[in-house]
Amino acid sequence: MTYIRHFRDLRLADRPEVGGKCASLGELIHAGIEVPNGFAVTASAFEAFRDQGTLRDDLKHIVRSVDPSRSSVLEAAHAAASGLVAATPIPHDVVDQIVAAYGELCDLTGDEALPVAVRSSGISEDGAVTSFAGQQETYLWVVGARDVIDRVRACWASLYTPQAIAYRSQLPEEVAFEATLISVGVQAMVDAEVAGVAFTVSPRTGDRSVMAINASWGLGQAVVSGEVTPDEYWLSKVGLEVTSSTIAHKTMQCLPSSTGQGVTTVPVPDDQQDVACLAPESIRELAEIAIRVEQHYGCPQDIEWARARATSAGPARIVLLQSRPETSWKKRQAESRAKTGSSAAASYLSVIRNAGAGVRKA
Amino acid sequence: MTSSEGSTPARRFPDPYSIATPEGAQGWEDMYPYYNRFLESRRDRDSARTWFRNGMHFPEPMPPFDIVTSDSAFMSTGVMNTRVFALPPALGIDVRVLNGYVYMSANGVENPEEIGRRAEEFAVRVGYYYQNWPDIYAKWEAKVRAEIAKLQAITIPELGEFEPVADVLANRGVTSSNDFLVAYQAILASLDAAWNLHSELLNMGYAAYLNFLMILRGHFPEISDQSVAKMVSGVEVLLFRPDDELKKLAALAIELDLTGRFASGRLDSLRADLAESGAGQQWNAAYDESADPWFNFSYGNGFYHHHRSWSDDPTFPLTIIVEYIGRLQNNEDLSRPLEAVSTERDAVVDRYRSLLDAEDVQAFDEALGLSRVVFPYVENHNFFIEHWYMTKFWNKMRELSEVFVRFGFFANVDDIFFMRRAEVGDALVDVQMSWCGGGQPLGPDYWPSIIEERRRIHAALKRWTPPPALGPAPAEIVEPMTIMLWGITDDQVKSWLDAQSGDGVVRVLSGFAGSPGVAEGPARVVMSPGDLDFLVDGEILVAPITSPSWTPVFARIKGAVSDIGGIMCHASIVSREYGLPAVVGTGTATATIKTGQIIRVDGDKGIVTILSDS
Repeated sequence: MTYIRHFRDLRLADRPEVGGKCASLGELIHAGIEVPNGFAVTASAFEAFRDQGTLRDDLKHIVRSVDPSRSSVLEAAHAAASGLVAATPIPHDVVDQIVAAYGELCDLTGDEALPVAVRSSGISEDGAVTSFAGQQETYLWVVGARDVIDRVRACWASLYTPQAIAYRSQLPEEVAFEATLISVGVQAMVDAEVAGVAFTVSPRTGDRSVMAINASWGLGQAVVSGEVTPDEYWLSKVGLEVTSSTIAHKTMQCLPSSTGQGVTTVPVPDDQQDVACLAPESIRELAEIAIRVEQHYGCPQDIEWARARATSAGPARIVLLQSRPETSWKKRQAESRAKTGSSAAASYLSVIRNAGAGVRKA
Repeated sequence: MTSSEGSTPARRFPDPYSIATPEGAQGWEDMYPYYNRFLESRRDRDSARTWFRNGMHFPEPMPPFDIVTSDSAFMSTGVMNTRVFALPPALGIDVRVLNGYVYMSANGVENPEEIGRRAEEFAVRVGYYYQNWPDIYAKWEAKVRAEIAKLQAITIPELGEFEPVADVLANRGVTSSNDFLVAYQAILASLDAAWNLHSELLNMGYAAYLNFLMILRGHFPEISDQSVAKMVSGVEVLLFRPDDELKKLAALAIELDLTGRFASGRLDSLRADLAESGAGQQWNAAYDESADPWFNFSYGNGFYHHHRSWSDDPTFPLTIIVEYIGRLQNNEDLSRPLEAVSTERDAVVDRYRSLLDAEDVQAFDEALGLSRVVFPYVENHNFFIEHWYMTKFWNKMRELSEVFVRFGFFANVDDIFFMRRAEVGDALVDVQMSWCGGGQPLGPDYWPSIIEERRRIHAALKRWTPPPALGPAPAEIVEPMTIMLWGITDDQVKSWLDAQSGDGVVRVLSGFAGSPGVAEGPARVVMSPGDLDFLVDGEILVAPITSPSWTPVFARIKGAVSDIGGIMCHASIVSREYGLPAVVGTGTATATIKTGQIIRVDGDKGIVTILSDS
């Protein structure tokens, strides 16, 4: 049985086995976009794990029998379930394949202690499932095969937080089961000097001709979690001009910990706090990449990106860490339309539309 | 356009009834008819409305006669909206003059039943116009040309010692005295007709543009006005034609080997000199052909008698011809980058179109198609009416005025413009009475002192800075026509309100991003066409509003800033064409910026910053 799939071999259609995050990374590679190397620990790996002994039934029993209104009950269920996940050995096949894949990744990059990010990759297409069912875990700067395996296990365990248990206990059994299908991505870390998110549609109004970029010093974690106020750049996709930029006062950044494992939040040097962390040419480069991704998918994207520090191997460059469809733009566009169009105007504009239908310049 | 009644907005513009008469302008009210004034007896009603200054068309205080242009323009735009096309939510505009400056307040329709009734009428009427637009536009041009010919054909009678004998022997009966009266009435009637024609297609043209704008905004709420304008505007517009004629004449002078004769100065002496050779005569003939109609091109906007045209005063066109000769001799290419402009236009359209969902493409194409069908009119009507017709109109009035000069009413033909339209009618009767009866007119003992006083008052009014709006601040400006035509938006209103409560030191002005790009340089404040003579290459033009006839100077400036105007105003159109940044509709640029100050024009964001004082 194969429990490992390399990103380079994945396409969107592989989602049922590797989850949305990993499938989308494979798709990006296929579209010619640079993303850090990595592999997916497949959904089958977790299935093989819980098929051992009575683990599957035990976990199911714990979730199905809670009273979600009682927090003490939920806490007890959480303790019991994560205890089971922690205590059950991972099947040898799975362990061996992860160790081999990590080793290959190290060889590929020439770094035998390659730091990686280990992140949950939910199978469900439903955003609510991935956020509520405990499929949002991310561990950064994980080093060594042993730690990688521990973090994979931690991602599985995160399905049994009190909130995730409460959420699934209320779902019909079939749906609740689907919400536990989970893959885990293991991706080479990017030593980001700057990172952030990019939306290929206006997060303000749903305007598809507009792009917004958030950027802050260090790893993207701080921007994604909302710990820092990032710089904000707005662009018109027609002509790629920056239409407005707001340079934030950036006091903190997330950097690899000095221990060589994990990340830590440290102050930004004084002389960098109020300067733009992306130069115009980087903004343009990122915007061009983001538009390529959007064109590849055919719909607006919400992208996590990083600008990797220059190394002996090459100059600083922009890489994407993740891209997913931005799903709420239509709604925001409709809201914004309702706000700007007055009913008085609508009353004659619709008449004009009818009156002018079919008129073309000769 | 605004909904202010019934609410108590926290912020107000000055009350029209509390504004003092400027120093030296006491008695200004007598210069304008009662129907244009804030009457004390209507204080409760007129104070409760919001009035916006119309500085776009009327940047200066009105000379008493010149108010006829405000009357005609507002009547015409009003009647088209209100009674001809029955635009559902918007009627016309009420007008008041305060300290000589024109203010306006829109009449809206709020009753849904009435809007519905109007919508039904509107559909029939505007549908016919849109479906037949090119044909109607062709006829429109013919109607305007006919109106201009009709105006020119009006003869002012000689009023000599005796009636022409031929008339008597033909037992005409009706006399020259009556002809004089009829001539004046015919001039006024022609003006009224010309302005009806001006508005016949204009608002419906704008409505089609607005439709496209609203469709785009629906999909792209953050789209800039200039991107929309770029997609719609015509590449070949008549407003560039006079400038193109100058280039042609410059090239012809080189071709005919006449350049040695050319120097800036007086056209008539040049022409007399040229008339001595065959080649020179050929050039003179070419000039005459260009000049009528293309040099009936106002130095201003045509709404004032003193906005003379290139044909009235050919100094400027001659200067530019001389300049173009020099540039052509330096092998400069004077042609406008038409191809690049239209390629860019198509690229922008394609890009936005590609961002639409498939089911939205048809509506986009139809709206764009309609806009492009109507746009030749929207862009070209201005030359026909404001420039060509109005040049002829003011000169026809001068012809009439010569009669008054002959009868000793005043010495200067332009003095007639310091009489109100009705007063000219009175003076005309005075002339009729004296000519018919052989007695003396009373005018010479009545008008000179009044006119002198009014010229003084008018000069005092010029020194006054009118507020951008009066009365309660509107709750919200939603009527898109208002926003588009006048450049009045919620943001604009807010910045006006902020400006009046500021500390007086304004360093940053905001307006519309009329044309993209950023430039820095010394400011040149140009309040009237005469100031253009001082303009130095590389300066940034700062003007209340720019006139299309200033187009040639856009080749010499680095950027443009105006008090008035939106994305479709001339400064924006011409700046985009020349690739210069422009910020328009700042409201107060000419009052804030001084000539010589170093300013930055950010045409991407619509911001002007005063960087330093010299």
